[in-house]
Amino acid sequence: MSNAMTHHPSRNLRRDVAFPVVGAVLLFGLFLGAGLLYQGLLGGHERLVTFALIDAVIVLGMQIYIGNTGILSFGHIGFGAIAGYAFALSAISPVEKLKRVSDAPFGLVDVQLDPWTSIAVAVVVVVLVAAVVGVGLARSGAESGAVSATVITLALLFVTHELARNWPDLTGGDRAGLSFRIGGALDTRVPIYLALFGTILVARLFAQSRAGRLAVAAREDNLAARAMGVNPLVQQMLGLLLSVAVVGVGASLRVYEKGSILPGDFFFNLTLVTLVMLIVGGRRSVTGALLGVGVITAGRELARRLGQDGFEIFGIGLDDAPLDWIFRENLKTVFLGSAMLAFMIWRPAGLLDDWELDRWLRSRFGRRRSEQPTTPPVVEFDDTDALVVREVDVAFGGFQALRDVSIDAGRHEVVGIIGPNGAGKTTLLNVITGLVPSDSGTVVLGGVDLTGRPSFEIARHGLVRTFQNLRLFSALTVRENIEVSALVAQKARDHQPPDVDALVAAAGLWEVRDRRARELDYGTSRRLELARAAAMSPSFLLLDEPTSGMSDAESTAMIEQVRLMAGVIGAGVVVIDHDLNFITGICDRIYCLDCGHVIAEGTPAEIQADPAVQAAYLGSSAQG
Amino acid sequence: MAELLQNLIDGLGRGSIYALLALGVAVIFGVMHLLNFAHGELITVSGYAAFWALDAGWSWYLVVPLIVLVSVATSLVIERVAFSRVRGADDFTLLLTSFGVHFVVSAIFLLYVSASVKTFSRPGWVTNTFAVGSLRIEVFDTVVIGVTVLALIGTSLLLQRTMFGLALRAAAADFDTARLMGVRSDSVIRGAFALSGALAGIAGIFWLMRAGSTVPSAGVNPMLKGVLAALIGGLGSLRGAVLGGLALGMAEVLLRSRLPDSVASLTEGVVFLLIALLFIFRPQGLIAVAHAERV
Amino acid sequence: MLEVSGLTTRYGEISALRDASLHVGSGEVVGLIGPNGAGKTTLLNSLAGLLEPSEGTVTFDGEDVTGSSPERLLRMGLALVPEHRRIFADLSVEENLRIGGITVPAGRRQPLLDEMAEQFPVLRDKWTTSAGYLSGGEAQQLAIARALMSEPRLLMMDEPSLGLAPVMVDVVFELIASLRDRGRTMLVVEQNATRMLEMADRAYVVRSGAIVAEGTGAELRDDDRLFDTFLGN
Repeated sequence: MSNAMTHHPSRNLRRDVAFPVVGAVLLFGLFLGAGLLYQGLLGGHERLVTFALIDAVIVLGMQIYIGNTGILSFGHIGFGAIAGYAFALSAISPVEKLKRVSDAPFGLVDVQLDPWTSIAVAVVVVVLVAAVVGVGLARSGAESGAVSATVITLALLFVTHELARNWPDLTGGDRAGLSFRIGGALDTRVPIYLALFGTILVARLFAQSRAGRLAVAAREDNLAARAMGVNPLVQQMLGLLLSVAVVGVGASLRVYEKGSILPGDFFFNLTLVTLVMLIVGGRRSVTGALLGVGVITAGRELARRLGQDGFEIFGIGLDDAPLDWIFRENLKTVFLGSAMLAFMIWRPAGLLDDWELDRWLRSRFGRRRSEQPTTPPVVEFDDTDALVVREVDVAFGGFQALRDVSIDAGRHEVVGIIGPNGAGKTTLLNVITGLVPSDSGTVVLGGVDLTGRPSFEIARHGLVRTFQNLRLFSALTVRENIEVSALVAQKARDHQPPDVDALVAAAGLWEVRDRRARELDYGTSRRLELARAAAMSPSFLLLDEPTSGMSDAESTAMIEQVRLMAGVIGAGVVVIDHDLNFITGICDRIYCLDCGHVIAEGTPAEIQADPAVQAAYLGSSAQG
Repeated sequence: MAELLQNLIDGLGRGSIYALLALGVAVIFGVMHLLNFAHGELITVSGYAAFWALDAGWSWYLVVPLIVLVSVATSLVIERVAFSRVRGADDFTLLLTSFGVHFVVSAIFLLYVSASVKTFSRPGWVTNTFAVGSLRIEVFDTVVIGVTVLALIGTSLLLQRTMFGLALRAAAADFDTARLMGVRSDSVIRGAFALSGALAGIAGIFWLMRAGSTVPSAGVNPMLKGVLAALIGGLGSLRGAVLGGLALGMAEVLLRSRLPDSVASLTEGVVFLLIALLFIFRPQGLIAVAHAERV
Repeated sequence: MLEVSGLTTRYGEISALRDASLHVGSGEVVGLIGPNGAGKTTLLNSLAGLLEPSEGTVTFDGEDVTGSSPERLLRMGLALVPEHRRIFADLSVEENLRIGGITVPAGRRQPLLDEMAEQFPVLRDKWTTSAGYLSGGEAQQLAIARALMSEPRLLMMDEPSLGLAPVMVDVVFELIASLRDRGRTMLVVEQNATRMLEMADRAYVVRSGAIVAEGTGAELRDDDRLFDTFLGN
């Protein structure tokens, strides 16, 4: 396979566009079908189904962000509030607005746009707000599981709620709100159908897009993603903007269908409902999110009926309509809260985890490339890109981890770094790849000073690493892991990276290419990590204990693997390891570190004969 | 100047309650890495207990310890039923579990106990004020501040001078190594929830006295204040939680007095906005607790 | 005192430790040496209850303690000084020692503290200092003293000389030697094989997750192949 091929090695139109479209059509059909079935055969309330369809749009919007980035946002309904009010203020006729918000600012009373333009306006407004919030989230260091991101979004929810309640001139306040004239609400489902179908499609296409897949990689392992050149903040922002736009559409439809808006419509209760729907089905999958909407809608309805009949059974003659509503409302809340708890305790990944209908269809019916591609040819080494590390000092508190360390490596070489535990080897690698700042010293690659730059930038410049304790994107398949690097390399690296399939084959991973990374055995996982790093087409591969935990046979095989990978991409190698069989077998030169500085340098034979090295490893007798 | 002093005292009065709530949240976060959104429910439940006791003729002298006891008991029950099952789970799961507990408890209450507002009579001195120069100081505020100081001293003594407190601090610093020392995970976590419940109980006494009533959703506001204050202070730092609570109380009072009347009702909204801004610029809170990432 | 048979511990798919068997007799000092990444820490952590072995048995004083929790093992007399020391940096030296003695009856704790102050003058001088300010060597002494507070029957240490300056390494080994002379039973993982072999009664060589050699300190010291095991050939 030559690099002259025009197809993108990591974009597959069938997988990323065709199948998702088909899947979206099917999902839409199934979901709608279920709803219509409930309406027709089971005598279900039409309005319930309508709201379920709208809720699905909102939940899918949330899924786009929460599912792909792993960041728990409590604030999406706050965005919904903003969109809802923007829509209402645009679409409601001036006559109606005069009744509630006669003193509205910016001349909003006189504004009247048709509903579809109003939705567009609402989306634009809310996306702008989201951009600002997104910057804030990025600054706070948002990543999967980060508390600060959740708090910021929660604060947003409260801010919008408070604003809505306490700015009656704009929003009609807490009791009155805004409303369309009687009969002015949405009376057909067609827009909702269109919105839902569009949303399912967009959600799937995003997940399969470059931004979506890089966001998922960052979700799986933020550090490893950055080491592969991914800037998680950019992908998260894109996800946020798209998701908020979708939620904006859903919220507007909700207001339009209901015919009115009140602050309480977009607060804790709706947040709970939508989050539970997302969690129950499986937040990582669009199919799951839809399933969750269905399950929870059914469950709530059941709870409502139970609550309704329940108290009748107890013979309490409650004619009071308001109390009636309270009872029903709260049985539903008990149900929702319990569902949330139950799933968090017993099945946090939800019913479907990350299973997608179209991916399943593709695995059943798609044509697969069956013959293993040939190994790509070895590439000419470009020797101008030398790695020069000079006089690096690092101190952690009072402890001097590295002292005046300098190393050189050329792209034609394999350079080893050895030394006892605690000698500073990994710290050195962390400094070179930007994970740890140095107190002084420089790291220069091909004449470009990379000292202190963020790790994703360093990776894009051509220094890519693997990790001591194995950091794969565990939920992604072998091929998808490697594709992440390839996706980054396409944009970031000057020359075309090798074909992903060819790399998979070269790494001996062809048989397991569709297995998830977390299912692999250890040796295979290590080879995957190596292949993933190679797919970035870097100038240097920096390997941190690639044979740790391997048997002797596996270590020996690793020598060939590393040579092969490096050859295919024309990279130099800097490798830390304790297995001296491996090190002496693969390295051209070796540096030995002890107590943070270089105590010896030379060929494998020289190093093995060096008494200083022997003393460092075996330990010395008492100083006396 | 006088106004500033007035605000200071009012702010301290408010902030003291928030500090107690925040401390309760921080204690649990320290040992379990769990942000307890159900913290407010302790006040709801003990509020209802107080109402029924007062209704049955109990005097406030008995009701005060009752509130604390009920709060502690509720805290332990919630731990046993819900949180014990998600120990060690990732942050996402913990956050949502806590959220779920909040909803279940408040909804069960609403559903099966009572839906309406229950008012009760407050002790007479609650509304008294006295004058110091040109300042009008509420007796209530002085009592709150005084009791809070005592409670903080008590908690500090508990943490610094007892073996239990030592175990709690060690577990918060390094749970696994604490276990290596023989500290039992169950004991220390339950202890943390009990302590958290006691602190919430004391805060609850004053919250309820000030409100003079209780309602099923009574827990939301205290919970929010407690959680936000703990976050402002920097999760993981108990001192930070106290500071965060005081800062929050001050901010609320100062804002309310500074904002023009027309937008006074937006105080809460502005406070939330400020908090969001704080997290954008200083996500680790006021007092940062270092976390190393092992590569 | 301690019998380990066929112990296997996995991290997901990785068998970090395979079929390890060893024993420690009362009063013995036994070393676990070997190259890095060999599985020595995994072995100790499995014995201390921090990791659950998937196969094998551990018997302590005749009782099967396989898979017991750290809290229970400590109460039975098995204490671990963990790798990297893991002292409580925000607590003072005294508090660190105190928590080490949390399982000891209250009346016994103060006499033990006094003993530690006497045995470890370096710690006595920094009694109320926050443990985070201690140097590496001082921290190691604190970690050992903390473990001694629980009056263990078997003291396990994971790489006590790790990251210490040569002078401090001497101090630590002297400390271990004096503990040995007082009859302490110890199981020590060490990177510094030479010193460990000088001090231990017996030692096991661990490599790639398995125990590959066993012998007295003297036997292993004289064995030329030891060097090869470490530096590979």
